[in-house]
Amino acid sequence: MDYALSEEQAALVAAVQGIVRDHGAPPSDARQSFAYFDASLQAALQGGGFLDAARVLGALEAALVVMEAATAPGAAELGASALVAPHLFPSAAPNGPFALIDAAALGKAHRHLPIAKTALITDGGDVLVLDLNGVRIDPVDSVYAYVYGRFAERIDLRALPRIPDAAPLLRQWHRVALAAEMAGAAAQAVAFTVEYVKTRHVFAKPVGAFQAVQHRLVQCHQAALAMRYLTLKAAWAGDAYHAALAACFAQQKASKIVFDLHQFNGAMGITNAHLLHFWTYRLRALQAEAGGVYASAHTVANALWGGAGP
Amino acid sequence: MEFGWSQAQENYRERIRAALRELLPADWHETYTPQSYASDAQIEFSRKFCPQLAERGLLVRHWPKEWGGEGGDDWEQFILAEEMKVAGEPRGPQYMNVNWIGPTLMRFATPEQREKYLPGIARGTTIWCQGFSEPGAGTDLAALRTKAERIGDRYRINGSKIWTSYARKADMCFLLARTGAGRKEITVLLVPMATMGVSVTSNPGLCKDGHLNEVFFTDVDVAIDARLGEEGQGWAIVTHALSFERTGVPRYHVGIEVLGLAIAQLKAEGRADDPIVRARAGMIAAQFEAARALTYLVVDQRVKRAPENTDANVARITALDAVVELMNFLVEFTPDCLAGGDAQLEEYYRINVPAGVTAGTYELQLDLIAQRGLGLPRG
Repeated sequence: MDYALSEEQAALVAAVQGIVRDHGAPPSDARQSFAYFDASLQAALQGGGFLDAARVLGALEAALVVMEAATAPGAAELGASALVAPHLFPSAAPNGPFALIDAAALGKAHRHLPIAKTALITDGGDVLVLDLNGVRIDPVDSVYAYVYGRFAERIDLRALPRIPDAAPLLRQWHRVALAAEMAGAAAQAVAFTVEYVKTRHVFAKPVGAFQAVQHRLVQCHQAALAMRYLTLKAAWAGDAYHAALAACFAQQKASKIVFDLHQFNGAMGITNAHLLHFWTYRLRALQAEAGGVYASAHTVANALWGGAGP
Repeated sequence: MEFGWSQAQENYRERIRAALRELLPADWHETYTPQSYASDAQIEFSRKFCPQLAERGLLVRHWPKEWGGEGGDDWEQFILAEEMKVAGEPRGPQYMNVNWIGPTLMRFATPEQREKYLPGIARGTTIWCQGFSEPGAGTDLAALRTKAERIGDRYRINGSKIWTSYARKADMCFLLARTGAGRKEITVLLVPMATMGVSVTSNPGLCKDGHLNEVFFTDVDVAIDARLGEEGQGWAIVTHALSFERTGVPRYHVGIEVLGLAIAQLKAEGRADDPIVRARAGMIAAQFEAARALTYLVVDQRVKRAPENTDANVARITALDAVVELMNFLVEFTPDCLAGGDAQLEEYYRINVPAGVTAGTYELQLDLIAQRGLGLPRG
C-alpha cells in the first residue's frame, strides 16, 4: 500500500498541471458561455500523448491525467480517450475524441458529439463503432458544461462494425472515466469556492468565517478527496466492482457539491462570467451517465451479495 | 502508487484470522459480541484472550522490541485493528492500552513507571480506563474541574469523570486532573482504581452497558510518583496520546460486514431483491469504501512520518457519514433489530449512537478541517 505518487507519476501530473495553467484563462467570449470546448487544451493533451497514458504507463496514470485535466475551466474530451478506448482497443484505436452513446437513446443529445471523431455505441451487450466523418450533427444548447449534439440524420446501427460482448468493459471504464472527471472538477470547484469565500464579505466578515458555510464546504472538500482516491483505486484495480464504487460515490455526492458551492458563491455563482458553472455543471452532466448512481449501486450490491440486476 | 497489500501483509492478516479462529469460543458472536466490547463479560474475556494473543506475538507487535514488540509498522497495527474490529473487538478495552496508553508511557513515563506498567500491557493482563470527560467537560476537555491538589509528596484528588468506559472492571485509570487555575494547567495521574475514595456507578444509555460509567474521586490520595511527566504537562501528553488515535477505528471494515448481515436477513425474508434495498445498500457500501480509501491514505502518511494535516479528520467524518447511513438502513429495512430481532445488528446500532460525539465531535472535526485544512478564517 503506497498512496504517494512515484517520480514518474509526479512528473506526469506536473506536466498536465502545466498545460492546465496555460489554459486557465478562457477567452472573453467563452467566459460567457455555458460550455466551453477548449480545442487547444484537447490538442495539447492529445498531441503530447497524455491521453495515451493508459497504453504507455497504465490506467492509474491515465486516471491521474484525466483528473488533473478536468480542473481546467475549458472542457476537453478526456475520459473516453484516456480510459475507455485504450481498454476497448488495446492496440489500434479509432480516432478520438469519442462520444459514448447508448443505442436506446440514440435520438437524444450526446456529450461531445459535435467534436467527436468516433462514437462508441452500446447496443445490448455489444459495442458499435461509428466513424463520424461526414455524419451530420446538430449542436444542442445545454447548461451542462460540455458541448452536446444530436444526430441530424438516421444512423443505421446494423451497418456498423460490432465488438461483441464489449459493453460491460465499456461501462466499467466509462465509470472510472466519469469518476475521474468528477473528482477533478469537484476539487477545482471546491478550491475556487474556498478562495472566493475568503475574500467576499457579508455582514462585515468573510463569507467563509461563518460556521454554517465552513461545515458544508468541508463536506464538499471531503467528498472531492474521497472521489479522488476511490477513483485511483478503481483505475488501479481494473475491475467492474471498484469502477462501480467510484462512480456510485461520485454520483451520489455530486448533488450536494453543486448545490452547496453555488450557495456559497451566491448570486455571483449564477453568472456565467464567474466560471464556477464550468466545473459544477460538468458534475451535473456526469451524474446520470453510465446508468447513474442507482445502476452503479446495484453493481456494487451484486458484487458484494450476489443477485442479478442492471 | 500501489493499492494492494504485500504478501507479508496478507500473511500477517491470515495469521491474525487463524488466531481468532482458534481463540474465540464457538458462541462468540451469539453470546459475547451482542453485549459490546465494554461489557463486563467481554472485559473479563479480554483478560484471557489478550495474553493468548500476546503469546502468539500479536498483541503489541508494533511496539519496540525492548517492550515486547517486534517493531512492526503502522500498517501491521492497522491490519490488526481491522481484524479485531470486525471480530467484535475481543481485545475489549485493551485496544486502548496497545494503541496509545503504552506508547504514551514509553514517551513520558519514568523508567520505574515503564517497568511497572508496560509489561502488564504487553502481556495483556491490565485493564485501563480513560479518565478524561466530565459532566461539564467533554469536547471542551480543558474545562475539566477534577482537581489534584499537591500536599507534600502526594496529590489529593477530588472530582468526577463521566463516560468512563470499562471503569467498573478497570485496574488503572489514565486520569486528567487540574493542578492549577490556568485553562491548560492539567496533569496526568496514573491512578489504581482500587485506591481508597474511588467509586464507580453505571448509567443506562442508548449505547450498550459498560460505556456510561461515572467515576467519583473523593479525597483520593496518590503518591507523587503516580504523576506522568511534569506537573502541568497533561495537555501536551494527552495531545500526543490522541495523535496515536488520529486514524480512529476502522469503521468501514465492520460496516460492510454488518451491511452484509442485514442483507442476509433480508434475503431470508425474501426482500433482498428489492431494487430500493439494493441501491441503498450499494450506495452505503460505496461510502464505507470511501472511508477506507481515506483511512489508508492517513495510515500511509503516518508510516511515512508525513507532517500532520487534516486528512485524518476528513477520514473520520467520511466514516461517520457512512455509519449514520447504515444506522438509517437498519431502521428502515430491518426495524425489528432494535426490538429483539437481531442482537448483532442491535449492537452495531447502539454502539454507534455516540459515534459522532466520542473522540472529538463530528462538528469539531469540521471546524478543524475548515480552519487548519482549508485555511478558512475563524468566525
